[in-house]
Amino acid sequence: MKENDVIVIGGGFSGLMAAAVAAKRGKKVTVLSLGAGTLSIASGNVDVLGYDKNGKPVANPKAGLSSVAADHPYNKIGQKSLEEAVQFFLELTKEEGYAYKGSLDQQQWIPTAAGTLKPTCLVPMTMDTSALKNASKAYIIGFESLKDFYPHLVAKNLRNMPGYDQEYEMLMVDPKLPAGRDVTNLDIARWLDSAEGRKAFVAQLRATIKPGSVAVIAPVLGTAPSHAVRDELEQALNCKFVESVVVPPGITGHRLRIMMLNHVKKLGVKVVEHAVVTRGIVENGQCTAVVTEAIDRERTYQAKSFILASGGFYGGGLVAEPGQAIEPVFNLPIAAPTTQEDWSNFQMFSNEAQPFEKIGIAVDETMRPVDADGKVLLNNVFIAGRNLCGYDFCFEKSGNGVAMASGYKAAMSV
Amino acid sequence: MSKHHNDINPDSCTACTSCISHCPVTAATRKFRGPKMMGPALERMRLSQDDVEPSLEYCSNCKNCDMACPSGVPISTLNMKARAQYFKTRKQSMRDEMLGHGEKMGKLISALPAGAFFANLGMQVGKAFGIMNAIGISDKLPLTYAGTSFIKQFKELKQTSYPDKVVFYPGCFINYQDPQVGMDFVAVMQANKYEVIVEEDFVCCGSPLLVTGYLEECEQNAKKNTAIMKKWTDKGIPVITCCTSCGLMLKQEYQELFEIDGLAENAKMLYDATEFLVNLDEKGRLNKEFGAIEHRYMYHAPCHLRVQGYGLPALDLLEMIPGLTIENADAGCCGISGNYGFKADKYDIAMTVGAKLFETIKESGVDTAVCDCGTCRLQITHGAGVKAVHPMSLLRQAYEAKK
Repeated sequence: MKENDVIVIGGGFSGLMAAAVAAKRGKKVTVLSLGAGTLSIASGNVDVLGYDKNGKPVANPKAGLSSVAADHPYNKIGQKSLEEAVQFFLELTKEEGYAYKGSLDQQQWIPTAAGTLKPTCLVPMTMDTSALKNASKAYIIGFESLKDFYPHLVAKNLRNMPGYDQEYEMLMVDPKLPAGRDVTNLDIARWLDSAEGRKAFVAQLRATIKPGSVAVIAPVLGTAPSHAVRDELEQALNCKFVESVVVPPGITGHRLRIMMLNHVKKLGVKVVEHAVVTRGIVENGQCTAVVTEAIDRERTYQAKSFILASGGFYGGGLVAEPGQAIEPVFNLPIAAPTTQEDWSNFQMFSNEAQPFEKIGIAVDETMRPVDADGKVLLNNVFIAGRNLCGYDFCFEKSGNGVAMASGYKAAMSV
Repeated sequence: MSKHHNDINPDSCTACTSCISHCPVTAATRKFRGPKMMGPALERMRLSQDDVEPSLEYCSNCKNCDMACPSGVPISTLNMKARAQYFKTRKQSMRDEMLGHGEKMGKLISALPAGAFFANLGMQVGKAFGIMNAIGISDKLPLTYAGTSFIKQFKELKQTSYPDKVVFYPGCFINYQDPQVGMDFVAVMQANKYEVIVEEDFVCCGSPLLVTGYLEECEQNAKKNTAIMKKWTDKGIPVITCCTSCGLMLKQEYQELFEIDGLAENAKMLYDATEFLVNLDEKGRLNKEFGAIEHRYMYHAPCHLRVQGYGLPALDLLEMIPGLTIENADAGCCGISGNYGFKADKYDIAMTVGAKLFETIKESGVDTAVCDCGTCRLQITHGAGVKAVHPMSLLRQAYEAKK
């Protein structure tokens, strides 16, 4: 059972992408995962490159690649692998019945719950804005008691955005949820998962919504990676829905995670939950096994290759300590400014990236970790995702793009 | 001292909402304010004052929050500690008194001649007269006592002696409700040339006591069990459970909750039966003389197994049996979570939580489910209308099919 071709450490987007690619290549794969990760609470969009290093919007992600710094992960992954990764992912989503839309040649600007626009590259079909852009008038649908999506705020700001300056009409739906804790988008999505929720939703809107119209809505059209809820509601109301980006819990990220898990399990990948990987067993630059530590004892997992997709500071793949940042599994060298005071740009909202975001592991073009001189440190360990150095995903909007492409490249290198 | 130890820092929580998104009780009812609020958020208040949040009673201690947390916060244990604190100054209901002390009832019944017969009859009568519901125990889920307890059956059994020995911790459910699982385990170990030792002095692991707020009694049980186990683990003899909730309690929750000598040392030698057998296989020591079982099954992984972080060894074992097909239902919590689903006012929530699993099993068309947890098996039979067996029972069947 513990004999594997590939062990992926981490069950986030980069880890699951790597697992899918390796399994498709016929490898026996086990994922050691800890927590549900950022993936399940985030937006589920695949941002590739939204802004260049000066903070200027990038119109075409592919063209923008030439502007990134030399040590940026995209320069290790290469354009060809990035293109293949996009292709692989789009096919995967189609196969799973929850297709994504987009291409490296076209930035997509999609509405957020604040009524601003966010640049991204690949979005689930439920976030496709083409119908909205072509409409002269659109609805914005909110829910009574939902604090994370205010139609008035969305409309007020969205009106000022290029391409979104149409007329908006606000509609409120009352899910009449029983009293209790604060209502989140997840609660609404669960309500619409139920037949009675969908029935009540349609009943409240039927008289108001004009046939053939478009409506912006929070990502509440069901919790599953499926278009069933959207299709049923669109058909019943003869209205096209466009889901927006919201604060966590972002349902679209939850759907993406479930879809990726469903997909890798179908490919025979084993996923071990709640596995805390604490160290690797390395002999002569070759990793033979990784060790998990539970409260009872350690357990050893052997494989021919390892993909370290353990996340950044949030996911525990990198740990910040006084004076240094460490990578806890293999104790790989971390490229970080030597003085800790230089880790942060104290002007939080300035037009510059945060140095701490760029802290991470340096790799070669096969995604193997390298030292400061570029020498490969581990022959059969490949790095993917947020623990890579050289990019500020938040500033440049490239998080899932780097995760997807580095996961792909790592799995092609094993 | 383990880094998981009871010095829990609620500030490790970054309030990311992952636990709320993955809490099955939160998904089933709006009355529960969710694990983040109950656990780390309120813990900060509790550190300075006696803060009571009524919706705490909704936590089922299923541990899906712990599994979802990216920061390693044992959220459910914070909840259970808070519950114990709540009951320090208040008295539990008769319902909780009964549900927390299932072992007392089991002991009493197995000591009486035809005790199980009358107890089961009593439950029927109790149900007919609405007594169960009146004290707050759901009468919808059938809980029956076995005619002869595991301990009694085991004493009658003649084992072949082998130099390799293991100690079996049966736990209340196997001892009083489902002794066949224990007997099947012994048969499987014998087929692998192990002699099984059972200690009559073992007491309830304390899991039902913990969730009903009897933390001090739970600690007493922990001390007793720890001392008995240590006697064997000191000699290098492993202790094995066939109940994943007992296993979780003995290995992990004891360490999270109490400071008792020997906890960490025992935990190193504590195994769930399926993991123990998979390890035997890795050492080339597993008897693989399995006869065929031409049958298709659906497997349900108990939450209290998943949270232990070593995967699903039952699947690895059962896949070795020729002819046997097993699929992982992968449909989340069954809802019962120990004694949670037995509470009359939580019954509907438990059934809502388990709905996806019941549907998955029903849709698959299998006539039998496989699961390592006793109360999960009850809930599966109740909710999906199919038989549910322990992996040990299928392994025994496969060994016997070869003979």
